[in-house]
Amino acid sequence: MIIPGQAGDRRRGILVSLASVTVFVGLWWVCGRLKLMSPLILPPPQEIWDSALEILELGYHQTPLWRHVGVSLGRALVAFALAVAIGVPLGLAMGLFPILSSALEPFVQFFRPLPKIALIPLAILWLGIGEVSKVFLIFLSTLFTVVVGSAASVKGVGLGKLRLGAALGATRLQLIWKFILPASLPEIFTSVRLAVGVGWTTLIAAEMVAAESGMGWMVMNASSYMRTDIVMLGIILLGLTGYLLDYILVIIERFAAPWAGKE
Amino acid sequence: MINRLLLLMALVAIAASGFLLPSQAYAVDPPKEVRFAFLNGPRPWILGKIDGSFDKAFGVPVKWVRFPSGPPALAALAAGEVDIVRVGSVPVTSALSRGIPFKVIALSGVIDTSERLVARNSIKTIKDLEGHSVATVTGSTAHYALLAAFKVYGVDAKKVKLVSLNPTDQVAAWKRGDIDASYIWGPFWHDLEKEDGHILLSSGQLNKDGYYLFNAYVVSDKFAKDYPDLVAKFLATFQEKVNEYQADPEGSAAKIAKELEQDVEGAKQTLAGLAYPSLTDQLKVEWLGDGPTTKDSNIAKSFGDQAAFLVELGELRAADAPKSFAPFIDSSYLKKASAK
Repeated sequence: MIIPGQAGDRRRGILVSLASVTVFVGLWWVCGRLKLMSPLILPPPQEIWDSALEILELGYHQTPLWRHVGVSLGRALVAFALAVAIGVPLGLAMGLFPILSSALEPFVQFFRPLPKIALIPLAILWLGIGEVSKVFLIFLSTLFTVVVGSAASVKGVGLGKLRLGAALGATRLQLIWKFILPASLPEIFTSVRLAVGVGWTTLIAAEMVAAESGMGWMVMNASSYMRTDIVMLGIILLGLTGYLLDYILVIIERFAAPWAGKE
Repeated sequence: MINRLLLLMALVAIAASGFLLPSQAYAVDPPKEVRFAFLNGPRPWILGKIDGSFDKAFGVPVKWVRFPSGPPALAALAAGEVDIVRVGSVPVTSALSRGIPFKVIALSGVIDTSERLVARNSIKTIKDLEGHSVATVTGSTAHYALLAAFKVYGVDAKKVKLVSLNPTDQVAAWKRGDIDASYIWGPFWHDLEKEDGHILLSSGQLNKDGYYLFNAYVVSDKFAKDYPDLVAKFLATFQEKVNEYQADPEGSAAKIAKELEQDVEGAKQTLAGLAYPSLTDQLKVEWLGDGPTTKDSNIAKSFGDQAAFLVELGELRAADAPKSFAPFIDSSYLKKASAK
């Protein structure tokens, strides 16, 4: 009996997820307790917890922990907002006008899979070592996924519907606004979620550029000194924040496109 | 059918030999290969990468694995991916404090002018760095030297904007004018000096104030235990390469620069910017000491100083720093290699 969306199933799903995380952390804790693994290679949860408490109290490099999280979030959110603001209209336009699509496709497909770390020296030369180059790297890695997803979403709109709209006398603008956009919105959201995931992974690369704070920087700096406990703490924070971002997007989607998945 | 039977018998035979062999073998088999971790810096041992001297001395091939800086090389050593690493003293200090199992077996070079504080021509003194941005590689010997220079020359570190950048990125930032100075190793300062840069200080000048900066060879405990003879052979071959370099610095620099695809002039100056105490000299208390004297050796003391410094920076927990670094220095291979 697998019918998604029923309340009981969802509650059970959450319980199973919680249980699996608890079992995982428990096993990890036991491994640490029994000293099955060198604490350098896999720091036990209690060591990470202690480091977390210490950093919460004293900060890391004189910067409070919440600021490291906030600085990274700030960089990422600015980049995401720009990528959506530019990427969604551009992608939709590409989906609507095949000529534009043909003109831009080579660039999009060239840049999308490119490892953004390779662009660091260029980003520095063009934009310097301030915030702009960091945001730029995250923006680039997010933009193309949004563009590709938005362009594809238009193609998913049923021709029949458009014909019906046209027969009823809708203008071109009305067709876009009343038919294409609502129908492609769910898929646009999916591509934004994917893109945010990709962009978040670029945070470390972005914060390799002359950063003094941020979670990605914290991980890089601690790894220079083999502080694997802080590296793990940073990774956990990065993971949790990424999780939270995705969750927020899901909620926004529920409000903005409640019809998603219901046709 | 017969083919399958043959295959099965062959498999059984292989499995059986696998079980039997270890009990018959009385010594550890020679390794399939010896894995060296090297960084981009031009150094005499690269001559051995070019002509295969280490492979010949070991009787097994050497795999040279390139790393951008010391810490990832030591992380690879911790993971058992490399056996011998040439690395700066600061990463060695933090890695030993964090319990990575390896020993320091020799100095590969003592840093003199191979690491330099380079600033824009408009900045005349070290004190003038206040109010400017200075780049360095976090956790490197250059970073340590920079902060040591601040102490020695009375610079208020709070008034300097420290920028953490990889060497190649520093060159890019310098070209744009985003950084005003950098403490960096060769050949990278060469690029900065070419464009409106001049030397304010080089690391050798800090020796008189008690700051020693050096590169070391470290070997994983497992490799040293299994193959002590190979470790001694490694050092003997290293000394041969140093001799070869000293006999012909120009020619060697050209060869090394070509192998590493670097500018010849930068390589030449970097190579000349290091001192290479002989294996015999390294056994003196000025350097590693000969075992009993190691605890009073300059190198053991210097590691202690660097650990204290890292604790002060907040990078190392005081509880993690060893009381003495002498137990992590093993000069027995120096003795074996220099006796030959």
